[in-house]
Amino acid sequence: MFGLPLTFTVPLVLTALAALPAIWLLLRITPPQPKRVDFPPLKILADLRPEQETPARTPWWLLLMRLLLAAFLILAASGPIWNPLAEDNSRAPLLLVVDNGLAAAHNWRDRMNLASERIEAAGRDGRTVAILGTAEAPAGLELSNPAAALERLRSLKPQPHLQDRRAHLENIQRLLESTPDAHIIWISDGVAGVDGQDFVSGLAQMTDDQRVTVLKSDRASALALAGVENAGGRLNARVVRAEPNGRDSGTLRALDLRNLPLADMRFSFDTNATETSVAFDLPTEIRNAITRIEILGESSAGAVNLVDERGKRRRVGLVFGGTADQTQPLLSPLYYIERALSPYSEIRMGRGGVADSVNQLIDEQVSILVLADVGGLDRETLGRVTSFVEQGGLLLRFAGSRLAAGNDELVPVRLRRGGRSLGGSLSWDTPKTFAPFTRESPFFGLAIPEEIGIRRQILAEPDGDLSSRTWASLADGTPIVTADRRGDGLIVLFHVTADATWSNLPLSGLFVDMLRRITSLAGAASDLTSEARNAEIETVAPRMTLDGYGMSTTPPANARAIPRTYVSRATGDHPPGFYGPVDSSLAVNALVPGDTLVPLNFAPLNARVEPLAGAQTVDLRMPLFMLALLLLLADTLASLWLGGHLSNLSGRVRKAGAAASIVLASMMLFSSGFDARAQDLMSRPIDENASPALITRLAYVITGDANVDETSRAGLLGLTQILSQRTALTPGDPIGIDPSRDEVAFYPLIYWPIVATQPIPSEVTIRKLDAFMKGGGTVIFDTRDAFNNRPDGAVSAEGQYLRRMLATLDIPELESVPNDHVLTKTFYILDTFPGRYATGQTWIEALPPRAEGEENRPARSGDGVSPIIITSNDLAAAWAVGPRGEYLFPVVGSNQRQREMAYRSGINIVMYSLTGNYKADQVHVRDLLERLGQ
Amino acid sequence: MTRVRVLPESARSPGRQETENALSLAHRMPRLVLEARRVAANLAHGIHGRRRAGIGESFWQFRPFVAGESAQRIDWRRSGRDDRLYVREREWETAQNLWIWIDRSASMGYASELAQAPKIERAIVLGFALADCFVESGERVGMLGLMAPRATRRIAETMAQTLVTDRASLEEDMPPAAPIAPQHEAILIGDFLSPVRDIAATVEGISARGARGHLVMIVDPVEETFPFQGQAVLHDLEDGLSLRIGDAEAWGRAYRERIGAHRAELQELTHRRGWTFTIHRTDRPASEAALRLLTLVSAARGAKLGGR
Repeated sequence: MFGLPLTFTVPLVLTALAALPAIWLLLRITPPQPKRVDFPPLKILADLRPEQETPARTPWWLLLMRLLLAAFLILAASGPIWNPLAEDNSRAPLLLVVDNGLAAAHNWRDRMNLASERIEAAGRDGRTVAILGTAEAPAGLELSNPAAALERLRSLKPQPHLQDRRAHLENIQRLLESTPDAHIIWISDGVAGVDGQDFVSGLAQMTDDQRVTVLKSDRASALALAGVENAGGRLNARVVRAEPNGRDSGTLRALDLRNLPLADMRFSFDTNATETSVAFDLPTEIRNAITRIEILGESSAGAVNLVDERGKRRRVGLVFGGTADQTQPLLSPLYYIERALSPYSEIRMGRGGVADSVNQLIDEQVSILVLADVGGLDRETLGRVTSFVEQGGLLLRFAGSRLAAGNDELVPVRLRRGGRSLGGSLSWDTPKTFAPFTRESPFFGLAIPEEIGIRRQILAEPDGDLSSRTWASLADGTPIVTADRRGDGLIVLFHVTADATWSNLPLSGLFVDMLRRITSLAGAASDLTSEARNAEIETVAPRMTLDGYGMSTTPPANARAIPRTYVSRATGDHPPGFYGPVDSSLAVNALVPGDTLVPLNFAPLNARVEPLAGAQTVDLRMPLFMLALLLLLADTLASLWLGGHLSNLSGRVRKAGAAASIVLASMMLFSSGFDARAQDLMSRPIDENASPALITRLAYVITGDANVDETSRAGLLGLTQILSQRTALTPGDPIGIDPSRDEVAFYPLIYWPIVATQPIPSEVTIRKLDAFMKGGGTVIFDTRDAFNNRPDGAVSAEGQYLRRMLATLDIPELESVPNDHVLTKTFYILDTFPGRYATGQTWIEALPPRAEGEENRPARSGDGVSPIIITSNDLAAAWAVGPRGEYLFPVVGSNQRQREMAYRSGINIVMYSLTGNYKADQVHVRDLLERLGQ
Repeated sequence: MTRVRVLPESARSPGRQETENALSLAHRMPRLVLEARRVAANLAHGIHGRRRAGIGESFWQFRPFVAGESAQRIDWRRSGRDDRLYVREREWETAQNLWIWIDRSASMGYASELAQAPKIERAIVLGFALADCFVESGERVGMLGLMAPRATRRIAETMAQTLVTDRASLEEDMPPAAPIAPQHEAILIGDFLSPVRDIAATVEGISARGARGHLVMIVDPVEETFPFQGQAVLHDLEDGLSLRIGDAEAWGRAYRERIGAHRAELQELTHRRGWTFTIHRTDRPASEAALRLLTLVSAARGAKLGGR
């Protein structure tokens, strides 16, 4: 219309625009509501009639706004459409075929927009529509009205598997028979499904020339991952595409089980290639953590490859033929093997005798069995080990005196009885080193350190195929590592021991590298571990599946379990994802190794092919209605304003708003009283420009009881002053902490008064406290109840509270401070530790028993500082001073010097927490001097 | 746009606030100025000697003792000078009565944002302040129709209590037209927005026996200037009248002429009766009107006395 891509569905409504002048006239003479004025002198003016009664004019802008409002309403009612689809003026039913396999996911939104445009266009033409998603399960096709079809379309989602379009041919046939004139629009991804070309040819037979329209992009643009292999110490990922489409490079990302990225790798296609390969060259432990590789930004299930446990860390079982002395681990050969293998493998130790260990480890489904110096096995065990090897297990043996004494069949080469000594006192030879590894050897490329020396070995009988079974040999050519295939498995023998008695090989880095190479070999052959034996009957249920966009989801309702041996690509019943329990998952991928994407050939259809780009049809009704609505709102506001109501309203709103904000603020204050305090405390160190870490300061726990907290603060302040006067320590001002939210690691000593009425600290707090105490901090728990202690020994409320609180803590054994404890000597020499009360006992971590020869030592100490000191003497109350230095609490007791002794106790405790057992050494000096003098 | 507000009925009875304002205004009255004007008028405001012996404080004359009189009345100091007995006589002194009336009708509870205070507040403050001032200088103050004249020190509080207990006059536009004694004076404080003939009837009623008086017209600035524009509906507060005007600006010109005429008539009316007429706008300080009123009262007395 007018050269613009604009049409109206109901153009007749536009005639209403002619009424606009009339509306203008009407609006013009209808004035706004007059304002009300209270005016007392009116009484004497009742006879004074207004001279001029002409109402004030409606302001022009209000008039314009109302006219626009009317115009927008009329326009919206006439149903304008911007950029309408070209009309084909057909009333024939429409069959919309939408590809929703994995190749369609990455531009799915465009496809959906296109499809809904087509359906809306059909709706305007009054055509009925049927929807067919090619990756869905085949179902009967029904022609429905466009609104229902739109709903059906919205329920379509991209599916995470390659579609089988052929299955739908029958339904299409049926539909075409009932409505022969139906038009088919196929929004295609351009990639052949599992059926290849069949669907196209089948459709071509059913339809004549111009009834099919294919909407496809010029080139199939999907990228996919087809197969990831863990081989040769690298993870190879294969990226495929259907045809060269210009997307020549991108990024692969490897993620772990928690979807954290581990590595990014660029990939690039040659211009005409349809597949390329990327190698993740990563350390084994990181490689093993990879569970998912995806093409960044592709967001399609085809661009995700899940990696399962096959090809992951091997489980290694260790068995030692001799008896290992637990106290001297360096003498056990298993120690060296474990140290070499544990970073890359999962180590299982055999328990019990050799036979028991072997059986147990095979039951645990190890993939590598290490027998270190195991001579012979009993027949039954031998049978199990043999079948283990033949089914793909790797048997790694090390020589030793027992193997030298006699061996079984499970060795790669025939062995001579006895061994060969080199470089011993009775031989002229020097210890031999390794010859360079041959190209055939799996150790090829490893550097051989010069200091390797083999002093003793087991010799192989010379044999025809000995050289082919030799992986490594000494400089004089005698084999030192031999291997042989046995069934699907492999037997590897080191002709030396795994400990340092025969050679220094186990001490070298070469040993580690060799074992790693051997371990990675096991991966290639160990696909069929004993799990495979009952694989035919064992099925695993889906645990986590991918949706069409490649996101992990819970399995859909139609996902079915798969057998353990499932190796093919995902289908509708078996969506890609992880099947089975977490530790032995089976990964099913949308594409299997070796798959390729093949472009579809649409030539047989003889169809009209249109690009995927939509016409960008915009229905202007909604925006116009919205504009009209906004204008209506503005008009209402303007009328209110002109009538003078808006100012009243705003005043009221302002008042209400102020009241509301006051209420809100007070509520926040009320509810966050605790927070505010904590923040205050947290911000204080910053205000003083000194973090707690920079100044040593005493800390007390804020209990929530204001009196107790104030006493604690005043007490620690008093102690701080005394410390500054008498000792070299000048602590900063004491600080109150809330252990549940403040970092406690900065404080050497925390004073914790017990208030029985407060709630028990949370589990998190207790854990933090535990960490603090384990990390060398000291906590003084003060129950403050010495005065109330009953003679019958009943536990006070504070004592019970403390017991409950410490019940879950790992508290060392406690004892009442002994007379020779270092705590009694750290600064002053003290007997007791009085506070406000002098009758309570002070408990501290029990010292180790007195060692011999220490009986006359004046001070003893354990290792480190006691993490806990428990007292009931109310120390802080005795220390507490007011702002003028006056004592806040009287001391209870007969001793005149009790307060002085309380301060001395405090100094000793602080010194103890800061210097640890230093004094325990220092106090020997006098004894030493005396002894020296004698 | 000038915003106006109408006070609720409760605000038209004096509260603590108004009473204290009135007292503070009374204390702030420039007494020296007052005294100067009194001297100029050759009149000490307050106790007025009657030039004859009577009950009073100041000495009037000694007269010889007449037999039969009470012996207590003999002034022994004077009598000791010679052989005769004298009696000390004092001058007969009497206080003047002032009647105050405050309009508390609905139209008084009105304030625009141009004003310093609502009309009613200003009227009450003014009335109380004057009463306190007069009592201070020895006069007796009453309230028309409500309270007999008295000279209590707490006149403002007393008047406030009287006003609060009286609900009937909240609807009354005019004071009761009962005449007062010739020597008394009336002070009527209100907005006088009634037809002139009603006001004239009241004034004539009060002054029927020759009493004099003062009208104080309290005016909100809006009532004088009418600063409105555009379309408006005017509402009267007492009779429920409303008037719709299309062009307030044009109507305002007519209104100002009209209110000017109303004032001129009031001026003429008061002049005829020998009363005074004061217009007080609420955007001016209250002390202005109070000072003028004090002066007028003194001057009127001076004229009266001078004429005698």
